[in-house]
Amino acid sequence: MASMRKVERHEARTAYVFITPTVLLFAVFTVIPVVMALYLSFTNYDVLSRNDWVGLENYRRLIDDSLLWKTFKNVFLYSIIFVPLNIIISLLLSMLLSRAWRGVKLFRTFYYLPTLTSAVAAATVWIWLLHPEFGLVNGLLSYVGITGPAWLSETSTAMLSIVMLTLWQSVGSNMIIYLAGLQGVPDYLYESARLDGANKWASFRYITWPQLRPTTFLVSTMAIIGALQLFDQAFVLTQGGPANVTKTPVYLIYQQGFNQLQMGYASAQAFVLAVAILIFSLINMRVSKAEESII
Amino acid sequence: MKKGLVTALSVMMVAALAAGCSGNSGQENAANEGKAGSGSSGKKTELTFWGDWGGEGQKQFETMVDAFNKSQDKIHVKYVLQQDMITKFLTAATNGGAPDVLFWDRWRTSLYAPKNVLHPVDEYLTRDGISKDDFYSESLTELSHDNKLYGLPLTVDARALFYNKKLLDEAGLQPPATWDELEQAAAKLTKWNGDKLEVAGFSMGDLGLFNMYLQQAGGQMLTEDGKTNFNNEQGKQVLEFWDRLMNKDKVYKVGFELGLGEGQDAFVTGKVAMLYSGPWMLSTYNKYGKDLEYGIVPPPAGPNGDKGSVMGGFGLVIPEGSKHHDEAWEFIKWWTANKDNALLWAKTSLNLPGFKPSMEDPFFQDDPQWKPFLDTLEFAKIRPAHPGYSVMETDALAPNLQLNQQNKLSIEDTLKKAQEQGDKMLEDNAVVK
Repeated sequence: MASMRKVERHEARTAYVFITPTVLLFAVFTVIPVVMALYLSFTNYDVLSRNDWVGLENYRRLIDDSLLWKTFKNVFLYSIIFVPLNIIISLLLSMLLSRAWRGVKLFRTFYYLPTLTSAVAAATVWIWLLHPEFGLVNGLLSYVGITGPAWLSETSTAMLSIVMLTLWQSVGSNMIIYLAGLQGVPDYLYESARLDGANKWASFRYITWPQLRPTTFLVSTMAIIGALQLFDQAFVLTQGGPANVTKTPVYLIYQQGFNQLQMGYASAQAFVLAVAILIFSLINMRVSKAEESII
Repeated sequence: MKKGLVTALSVMMVAALAAGCSGNSGQENAANEGKAGSGSSGKKTELTFWGDWGGEGQKQFETMVDAFNKSQDKIHVKYVLQQDMITKFLTAATNGGAPDVLFWDRWRTSLYAPKNVLHPVDEYLTRDGISKDDFYSESLTELSHDNKLYGLPLTVDARALFYNKKLLDEAGLQPPATWDELEQAAAKLTKWNGDKLEVAGFSMGDLGLFNMYLQQAGGQMLTEDGKTNFNNEQGKQVLEFWDRLMNKDKVYKVGFELGLGEGQDAFVTGKVAMLYSGPWMLSTYNKYGKDLEYGIVPPPAGPNGDKGSVMGGFGLVIPEGSKHHDEAWEFIKWWTANKDNALLWAKTSLNLPGFKPSMEDPFFQDDPQWKPFLDTLEFAKIRPAHPGYSVMETDALAPNLQLNQQNKLSIEDTLKKAQEQGDKMLEDNAVVK
């Protein structure tokens, strides 16, 4: 018994040693800044000349900051379209590409490629593709007799354009995650289902989808967090316009902090965003029953 | 044995981490000591000059810096390119790493000067007998706060009307001088092919130019006490004019110029016949527009003959955190308040210098590309010096103007909403102390 405890102690010590660097990095670059930002959100910090406690002043100001709530509405709208489409498309792609057929590796590479391009470079190319008169998209539409809109400049299509671009960029990496998830579904489940006479839809509905629940939870959580923090694509494609329909909270926080030097107020805005992300992640956890076991 | 290895490994990792964190400050200290050392040894004073112009701009800065270094033997200036200059300055201003001279977008003065990070230059001006009349008073106002001047203007610019000579000749038109002429010319120059716009008569892509139109209508963006001042007859005239251009004459299509730059620039390729632009575009047009023949006239006057354009440009300022205020001033004075040097700068960079005597040179007076800008500068006004002005313009005014342009908001509601939201943003961002 005594030797057993010794082994355990030894293992525990080794474990702590191994996680020390990560935890240290996490503390220095994440925990401390978050705590500092929380403190700053109660001050009128401006980086240069002042740092006085103002109590709840910043949070009071948040309440009737109509532009902030507008940006939240924008990213919620974006998430509602983006997150489900992201899951559906990447799951479909991965199911298509999980079987071994000729050239499958080529297609996997193609679908993954957009993920590797930088967001800003890709957005610049998409601006050309979406040009109302000379862009490829409207050029193709005109062949079938449709006059395409000015995608990025019209209030009704600007957000949709950003959804298209970000989907194109993000389905690749989620497809890889789903591919890995599909590999983990045991073959004997399908085999016994086939013996019981299940068709393809039934085996997807009752085997593949439930078995992929942890994967879907991961993909959807990352997608929600990414969606609520949308910034670069919206910044390059539309600069938040037209009429603020693509302005996002992160964009506003940056502007408030670095352009207007109201770092205290920007920190308060950032905390509202953090709380929103937390709430939606928790809801998502409930919906996808992440804690229950899959079999 | 194994345990020893693990301990050694972890100690190494932690040490590496700690070194990584402190590495930066160590370097900075060394650099500061080096600087102080060379200063106190009685040799040349080393000045650091920060700017965010790279590429061609960096070469232009370095030409001036080299010329200054050769002109005397007491001060040596070094240009340091800072891509993200303002953010860097934010941290450097308070922790001792501030540069000695800073390239400065003038409109930022109203936000930064109250925070005491810039050094006033009024005393130097008096001491060296530099006359304020040698600069555009608007540009000095933009560099001032609370009756103190915080630097000297390096460049001045303003938008004027660029027109494609060939297209105007074909249509038998003269460059417009009034709103009515502008509207008629634009309507005549526009070419549609079905529902496809081929040539836009006049660019309506930048609604941020509202300020300029409002001046032409005889209005002003802000009242004396810092409130918006466009929900009135003048503002209405501007939007009605835009409405005629967009919806009656259909001279433009929303998003027409988006993403077209440099070689594909819509004006260079003849897809836009007239537009408001500034001297900063001259080199692009000259470089890519081999077949482009263009002319420039001052902005057309509004219904009551009022003229208007917005003056902008850069200056040079001295951060309060610099240890060499006097030497920094010598450099700024040499560059911006000397006829020959300001002219050298203008010719090197193709910018209008902030120093008026330099503009008397034939280089500007006899050049049809420069003359219209000189005329425009005579009446151009700076943006109001309110720390919340740019937020008001981009987040309250522009979004409502865009809704109006896309026929989603009436003229009355546009002005009313822009006023309500704008006044609130001005108020929220007014206190900077």
